[in-house]
Amino acid sequence: MSVATVREVTFGEELPVFDPDTSLDNVIRFTEAAGWRGPRFTDHEAARKEGLPGALVPGIMSQGFLCAMIHRWAPPAQIVEVDTVFRAPVIVDQTYHINGVVTDVDETEGRVEVDLTVTNEKGETRVFGTAKVKLPV
Amino acid sequence: MILDLHTHSIKSDDGRAKVENYCQWIRTRELPIDGFVLTEHRQFDLESDYSKLAADFGLTILKGAEVETEYGHVLVFGVTAPLLEAFDFSDIHLPLARVIEACAAYGAVPVPCHPGRKRVGMSAHLAEYGVPDGVRIVETLNGGSRDNEDAVAQAMADELGYRGIGGSDAHIVSHVGRCATRFPAPITSEQALVEALNGGEFEAVSFRDA
Repeated sequence: MSVATVREVTFGEELPVFDPDTSLDNVIRFTEAAGWRGPRFTDHEAARKEGLPGALVPGIMSQGFLCAMIHRWAPPAQIVEVDTVFRAPVIVDQTYHINGVVTDVDETEGRVEVDLTVTNEKGETRVFGTAKVKLPV
Repeated sequence: MILDLHTHSIKSDDGRAKVENYCQWIRTRELPIDGFVLTEHRQFDLESDYSKLAADFGLTILKGAEVETEYGHVLVFGVTAPLLEAFDFSDIHLPLARVIEACAAYGAVPVPCHPGRKRVGMSAHLAEYGVPDGVRIVETLNGGSRDNEDAVAQAMADELGYRGIGGSDAHIVSHVGRCATRFPAPITSEQALVEALNGGEFEAVSFRDA
């Protein structure tokens, strides 16, 4: 279900869960487009040699997933800010779920705040943050 | 009475939650907690008065702090003006012994938090520094724990005879109440919280799967 105006948004509303494509192919496409080429993002073995658990999904790609999730829920939304705290690495080729929930609504100004979390299959939070979004009144 | 003993608001550098939104969330989601303690990083929030919010939402809102020592992070409950003078809350290299000594002198309770976590948890430093004197309570359930961090914390508590509390370690609104601490009687002030912790009748509870 998507929303078009702030009047359709309620406190505590959950955004549809978004499972991002963290496959190596997709990450390679992203790093090439972003100019972020580096073996720690595109090669599991090379990443492990750096002491990492595997190739990393770039932080800006995770932030892109968060923005994509918000726009799927609210296509006309203007994302004013996405503020993320990276607690643990997001690893390429692993399954993650992105959850979003509305935690503040200002109907007069059209402003909405959304809590965002990236969790793994064990339910552990890898990334959390908030987004400030502006919607038509 | 169930209190989430470990939360952060926008007063903390990595906190993203407004206190009013915590209250709204607890009531809207009908969370089974009666309040929470704001334990801001490396500071005690002297200026904020949450009494009206607490009354409006029928919740207990108390204040503590989370300081940093060579053994990792430590929650401090029962912060008073003399305690604030006893050591620099913003110092990220506080000696744990000094924190414990000051807490004992000024009626506060120190509680090492997420003790099973690498680097910022107490268990990671026992081999290097030994078992510290004066610790009686540790946070055995932390809402932000990953892997086996809570199991490590509980094992350490069992081995060393510590009692355990629970806290969500919430930094965003929707994480409040994931873990908490159950007390047998109502608690409405920082002093009452200190007395309850010193009394030893409490248990850590998890609502992560609720």
